[in-house]
Amino acid sequence: MSARQHAGRRMGDHLILAAVMVLALLWIAPLAWVFALSFKPNAFLAQHTDVVLGAPYTLKNYTDILGTSSVFRWIANSCIVSVTQTLLTLVLCSLAGYGFARTAFPGQKALYVFVLAGLAVPEQAVVIPLHRLFADLDLHNTYSGLILPRLAAPFGVFLMTQYFKAIPKDIEEAALLDSTPRWKIFLRIVLPLSIPAQATLGIFTFLTAWNDYLWPLISASKPDMYTLTLGLAATQSNFAQSEGIGYLMAQAVFAGLPIFVIYLFFQKHIVSAVAGTTVR
Amino acid sequence: MQAGMTTRSLLALCLGAALGTGHAATEITLARFFGACEADYGKVTDVSKATGECGTITSLVNQYNATNKEGVVVKAEVAEWGPYYDQLTSRIVAHNVPTIAVMHQSVLGDFVSRKLVEPLDDGFKSVGINTADFTPHAKRGVVIGGKTYALPFDTWSWLWHINVNYFKKAGLTTPDGQPILPKSPDELLAQAKKIKDATGKPYFSWTTANETAAPTRTFLTLMYQQNAQVFGADGRKISVHTPAATNALTLMNKLWTEGYIKKGLDYGATQQAFTSGDVAVDVVGNWTINDFLVAAAKADSPLHDGYDVVPFANLYGKKAIFADGHSWVLIKGGTHNDAEKKAALSFLKFLWDHDYDWSRTGHLPANNKVVQSAQYQGLPYRKNILEITQIGVTTPSNVPRQRAIEAIIGEEISSMMLSGKAIPAVEDAIESRVNTLLASVH
Repeated sequence: MSARQHAGRRMGDHLILAAVMVLALLWIAPLAWVFALSFKPNAFLAQHTDVVLGAPYTLKNYTDILGTSSVFRWIANSCIVSVTQTLLTLVLCSLAGYGFARTAFPGQKALYVFVLAGLAVPEQAVVIPLHRLFADLDLHNTYSGLILPRLAAPFGVFLMTQYFKAIPKDIEEAALLDSTPRWKIFLRIVLPLSIPAQATLGIFTFLTAWNDYLWPLISASKPDMYTLTLGLAATQSNFAQSEGIGYLMAQAVFAGLPIFVIYLFFQKHIVSAVAGTTVR
Repeated sequence: MQAGMTTRSLLALCLGAALGTGHAATEITLARFFGACEADYGKVTDVSKATGECGTITSLVNQYNATNKEGVVVKAEVAEWGPYYDQLTSRIVAHNVPTIAVMHQSVLGDFVSRKLVEPLDDGFKSVGINTADFTPHAKRGVVIGGKTYALPFDTWSWLWHINVNYFKKAGLTTPDGQPILPKSPDELLAQAKKIKDATGKPYFSWTTANETAAPTRTFLTLMYQQNAQVFGADGRKISVHTPAATNALTLMNKLWTEGYIKKGLDYGATQQAFTSGDVAVDVVGNWTINDFLVAAAKADSPLHDGYDVVPFANLYGKKAIFADGHSWVLIKGGTHNDAEKKAALSFLKFLWDHDYDWSRTGHLPANNKVVQSAQYQGLPYRKNILEITQIGVTTPSNVPRQRAIEAIIGEEISSMMLSGKAIPAVEDAIESRVNTLLASVH
């Protein structure tokens, strides 16, 4: 490669980098705006929402959130629901995925298609029968009521099935020759190999559970059982869009903080999950 | 260890004995919106120190809990305003019914027709709430088929918040500085032109983005002012292929196309446009009065020494204006015994006795005695809007699904303004969509 070609390529790289940086700035601008407004008094924002830097500043929006007696209860509820849902989803989807990928049984293909059909059913279409079912079981306003409906995760089953299918069968066959029971092969050989896929599924499940709003809205009607998203929404005044903008922005930042922390720790897996690949 | 256990057991016994011999508290739940504001009002037990909807209702509950002699504890269960009725319905289905719930009078009819709300006439008598004291608008809102189904708490309506400084600039004030209001659509258009010529600002800010309520309320007000019937007598049919509807839509369309309404405003931006001096008139409810008063008190505000508020100007002759109100209901299944019912009624009586405190938020009182009191009339601008308690028009309670109808009408009017949908097509669409909805309600 000539020096001229090399310089041309470097210039191209710089241009792409500059374009990406501009796009990133455009993307982050609304988030920065939300963050900045969360430190401004509501009365000030009723007249000016176009000011990002400069006085006045206040921490009152955050102290108001922390001053809500139930806020730590709501955080705890969100943690319990999100973590339990994530763990159970991983267990169920791994088992189902392994079953579909590695075992043959009558009606396997039809059942797999049936499971995948669940991907095409929107949540809103089943919310009323689901609500009635949980009402009949007397499970509303319980952790079970918040967690159980979300365990039917066709995407997770699909992801794990495809991942298990991609693991060479030879590894398992060698173990089968040694008369190792199937469950031991699953637990000790296949499952450790699927950790990247589980990380992807786990992150998606946790994020979805943490941000979930519709189901908790109609299932958790007692304030003690609110999740954080629901609880924070309930604290908004009727006219928050005009008289409580700073508080609204602080809520957005506050609710997003745990997810931000998780992102910092699992950045690599999240990026690869969004890119449609898994980290090996 | 053993000694510790014994001490703890004794303490538990003593505590149990103490609780057993004392009066057991009757706990009732109160489902409401209006937000939560514990940081500011969580411990305030004197409602006179509270401002705003959230602060006032929180302090009222605190004050009742601190002062009632019956040992009643009211526990507020706060929900978000937007999905409040969906959540309330889901609570009823799940048999987790609150003792008392706040309810818009426009929604009450739906719940009554589903037989979900307790009639309260006898209960009111037992605690001394005289329904004869209800204002005419409040009475229309809570009395259905001759029975009273809710305690009215307020009336809210559709007002013009005016930047008098701009009216002055355009020569639209009386010698004593009062804004001159238009009395016909033509006068309104002429005023709007004068304001634009004199200040360069549009006449109106009203919400046209991400909201359907504002255009509907304006449309209904213009219809009521023409004495037009929007719904059939049985509440199961809407008719807007009428000269009155065409008049109303034509006026709204003209204001929009000629640039007299500031464009692209959602709810928050609408209020901001007014306080920032971008428009002359803000069309919104009475709940913003206090905010605008606070803004007008600032020396650098465009509203300084120039804020006024009046009912939506009468453009067609009949004094009438869209209005709704908040009320309190007892949902069936929410009280499990006589003690809870008695406690609920006692709290309703307390709220009724504090209707003045609630009216400080900007809402109009539901209690005639408060309306007529010097205390209430001494509040800023309240005299201007008092007549709404008499002339306010609520959509008849036999019209079901009023929230959904409001959304349909608003969507179609927005289509007219934002994408130029022709007025006959708007009327067609409103009739067809609303009548399909009404036909589906059994």
